[in-house]
Amino acid sequence: MSEYSVVGQKVKRVDAVEKVTGAAQYGADVHPPGMLYGKIVRSKHAHANIRSIDTSEAEKLPGVRAIITQDDVPSGRRVFATDKVLYLGEPLAAVAATDPDIAEEAAELIEIDYEVLPVVQDVMESIKPSAPRLHSDDTKDGPNRREITGQIRQLSRDKENDHSDEISKLEAELENYADEVYYNISAESHSEAGDVEKGFAECDVVVEDTYVIPRVHQTYMEPHVSVASADSSGKITVWASTQGPFAIRSGIAGTLGIPLTQINVIGTTMGGGFGGRFGVIITHVPAVLLSQKTGRPVRVQMTREEEFIDGRPAPGCVIKLKTGATKDGRILARQALAFWDSGSVSGASIGSTIRVRGVYKIPNLKIDAYGVHTNKSGTAAYRAPGAPQAIFAGESQLDEIAERIGMDPVKFRLMNMREEGDQVPAGGEEPKVGYKETLEAVADAAGWWDREAGENQGWGVAVGDWTNGCGPGGVYVSVHEDGSVRIFHGSMDITGTDTAISQIIAEILTVPYGSVTIRRGDTDSAPYSTGSGGSVVTFTMGNTAKLAAEDAHRRVLELASERLNTNVENLELKEGAVHVVSAEPPKSISLGELAAYSLSTTGGPIVGKGSFARQPSTPALAAQIAKVEVDPETGRTRVLKLVASQDVGFAINPMAVEGQIEGGTVQGYAWAMMEEMQYNENGNVNPGFVDYRVPTSADLPTVESVIVEVPAPNGPYGAKGVGEPPITPTLATMANAVKDAIGVRITELPIKPEKVVDALKSNGHSP
Amino acid sequence: MKSFEFFEPTTLAEASRLFAEEHAQLLAGGTDLVIGMKAYTETPQSVISLQRIPGLAGITTYGDSINIGAMTKVREVELSADVQQHHTALAEGASEIGSIQIRNLATIGGNIAHASPAADTVAGLLVADAQVDIASADGERSVPINELFTGPGQTVLAPGEIITRFRLPKPASGSHYIKHKIREVMDLAFIGVAAAVNLDNGTITDVRIGLAAVAPTPVRATEAENLLSGNAPTPELLEEAGEAAASGCSPISDLRCSAEHRREMVNILTKRTVQNALARASGE
Repeated sequence: MSEYSVVGQKVKRVDAVEKVTGAAQYGADVHPPGMLYGKIVRSKHAHANIRSIDTSEAEKLPGVRAIITQDDVPSGRRVFATDKVLYLGEPLAAVAATDPDIAEEAAELIEIDYEVLPVVQDVMESIKPSAPRLHSDDTKDGPNRREITGQIRQLSRDKENDHSDEISKLEAELENYADEVYYNISAESHSEAGDVEKGFAECDVVVEDTYVIPRVHQTYMEPHVSVASADSSGKITVWASTQGPFAIRSGIAGTLGIPLTQINVIGTTMGGGFGGRFGVIITHVPAVLLSQKTGRPVRVQMTREEEFIDGRPAPGCVIKLKTGATKDGRILARQALAFWDSGSVSGASIGSTIRVRGVYKIPNLKIDAYGVHTNKSGTAAYRAPGAPQAIFAGESQLDEIAERIGMDPVKFRLMNMREEGDQVPAGGEEPKVGYKETLEAVADAAGWWDREAGENQGWGVAVGDWTNGCGPGGVYVSVHEDGSVRIFHGSMDITGTDTAISQIIAEILTVPYGSVTIRRGDTDSAPYSTGSGGSVVTFTMGNTAKLAAEDAHRRVLELASERLNTNVENLELKEGAVHVVSAEPPKSISLGELAAYSLSTTGGPIVGKGSFARQPSTPALAAQIAKVEVDPETGRTRVLKLVASQDVGFAINPMAVEGQIEGGTVQGYAWAMMEEMQYNENGNVNPGFVDYRVPTSADLPTVESVIVEVPAPNGPYGAKGVGEPPITPTLATMANAVKDAIGVRITELPIKPEKVVDALKSNGHSP
Repeated sequence: MKSFEFFEPTTLAEASRLFAEEHAQLLAGGTDLVIGMKAYTETPQSVISLQRIPGLAGITTYGDSINIGAMTKVREVELSADVQQHHTALAEGASEIGSIQIRNLATIGGNIAHASPAADTVAGLLVADAQVDIASADGERSVPINELFTGPGQTVLAPGEIITRFRLPKPASGSHYIKHKIREVMDLAFIGVAAAVNLDNGTITDVRIGLAAVAPTPVRATEAENLLSGNAPTPELLEEAGEAAASGCSPISDLRCSAEHRREMVNILTKRTVQNALARASGE
């Protein structure tokens, strides 16, 4: 028996009925009277100067109510491109019309005179001096040049001694690295621990590889959509499909120079987010501008094609990785040089390159990461941003080391994992995390220790770590006269978080889960809440809900103490009523009676308030094992078994947690095996689900999930964020399984049949 | 989508007259046309539905011979016991198209008239040596399926000509279709290979091999067929046939895969599909 009655239970989701019956209101279901249809006018070239934009023909089209360009943005903040476009699909103007087809036709009638420029799509080409330049002031030194110029700088600072000889020697050395001047750099990030040179020198085995990970789209089911309505007083209402209504409010306010509380953002039911549903420019700002200009509500909704050409997907990257270990299996050094494809703007998660360190005791570590401009749209978060890419490189290479020193991949990982109290590279001590427990759990569940493999079959293992974020939130709890409990907050439900919040409050107020209901406010009514991303919601809003319920609990005991004429110390709330402890005969009063009584008291109704901002989070680990079979002639890979374990701290709703583990693992599988945004000099060439393949249920066996619970000290009931970790190891899990099956290491994703056949051929296998 | 005039004729002659006009498109299942119209890649001024014309849908069997109406749903082709028995490759090809929902809308006539080199029913019809019946306001004619296509999206059909029926006169005792793809279901063919054989006492008496997505039109691998025909199958002979099929095709490189990969897969999958067809023919 669990010590809890509602948390830890597989209860039905609070939104199950509305989702299944179709009653849930998504962004595209919002249709205020008089609504117009907006359409973004997009660049037809991946890189071009704009000579002119002529809207005159489009304006003549009956039904067109407004056409806006950057000239119509009073704040001057960039919403539309003006003199230059940097990717196919970049917005140049927007149209509002009485009908979506008219808007579409008007968009086609806008004449744009382009001067087409050379295009660069490959990061390794973009850093070369021969590449077309996207922005000025974008040149940076590579790792060796940085080190040498750093030394020169240090020597020059020493005015007391003459270092001119050393300096000229160093300057000569700098010349050796002439090709290490990188162009088109949007950002850089560097970190170092120990001494990698020394570390590698002590290693018996050193492996170096280049890993290439493609750009992938979050492929949420619902494309971006917003409906904006500006009234005559200037008040703006935005119905937005977003993970963060408060972020959208401040984003619109900042971009358009509108006072914050003159904007009300109403979050609609979200058709998936995965990190990609935070941006304001994509649809929300154009909708507001069009509504301001027309005085009518305007909907701007992206098509699936627009999602691909102008969404904000996850960045692809190239990671050059080097790892060294002793022959008895100790990893001594690891060095990474990464180039992240950030597209036309900065913002790729280059800092995540650090995740190549994994959860291992690696004393010597050096990371150099660069964001590189290409003629693609910008990027955004996607489920553990940057981690799947870095961990693919790190965990693939670990298997190569394990193979060379003849160690079992699971044992090799277990041996190198950090333990409680170890120094963390970033500083501080390692907390208690179920690293080994989680890996051992997946190995046991998958039957790793007595695994068998037929011809062309193989097993792969990998682990990935991630730590949930944390942010501010507020929750109110009211207890009503019928004993039911209502929750009010402003955080968007993301895959069951409202359910977890409801469970926590039901647990504390000792009422049945079914008597708790939850209401979401808009940004005008609800207390501030952080965005629903970064696995924050259950951690942040769970803690907030707990505080609110505890506050209500205090008021309940206070009221009961008045009614039952005894001190609160003698009272206990259980099963929806307050009882006098060890009273004979029993003496109690129900929550409903207390709520009714409260209405005529000086203190007033039972309202609990919870407000929370941050507490340190604890890392989580996901460990996965796959068994695959590869057809060496056609290169097709079939997954025979996929087992995923995760240290979730505490599963507030094990059913929802399993759903997260399965969903994340499947997305990781898809990235490994088929998903890839493809580009050529014209831009994205697979902007739809025909040639951008997402898996169906026919591609995979049921993912077996294994929940491991090592409580997080600051999580509600010990819970950690569960959404992001499960995608992190799967890319490497699949590559490692394919290697085990047919002996070739695929370092460039996705593992498409052609790549497998070609790798086998270059490995001397005749087709 | 652009606005258009919509017609629902009840006779072939009327449909043919309307279809002979410029910028006219036929609507069968709509699973290609409507997507194209929504994407503005198809902007017909008139759309002529074939739904109300009687007699265009359905599968009829006369002894060994099977007739499939052009408006027959792909799902019906897939599930037909007669097609499954005598033209297994065609039933298998039909089962590879889209999802069940799509197959319940899409028609075999539409799949063929769209003239995609990658159509999933085309290799099966090629190895069935199907005759394509065509009607127009001027009368009727018939062409063999391997003479229907002239290029990607192009056929010998003249303005106003409408495919009405596929006649499959020659049953094969064994046939098989393999689609090279990434996703298990709902994927387009990287290549498609079908083979149909009849055996007599261990000797291949009839053999037809159809290839999809390896040339501007769907094609027969005639050199490979000639190697196999009249011979007893051996592993060496199958190797030669695979190589002949591969060297006889002219694939392109595109975003799905390279021409070289397609050619290699023609080799591998021709061997496999002939082998599987042979196994079926010998009752294995």
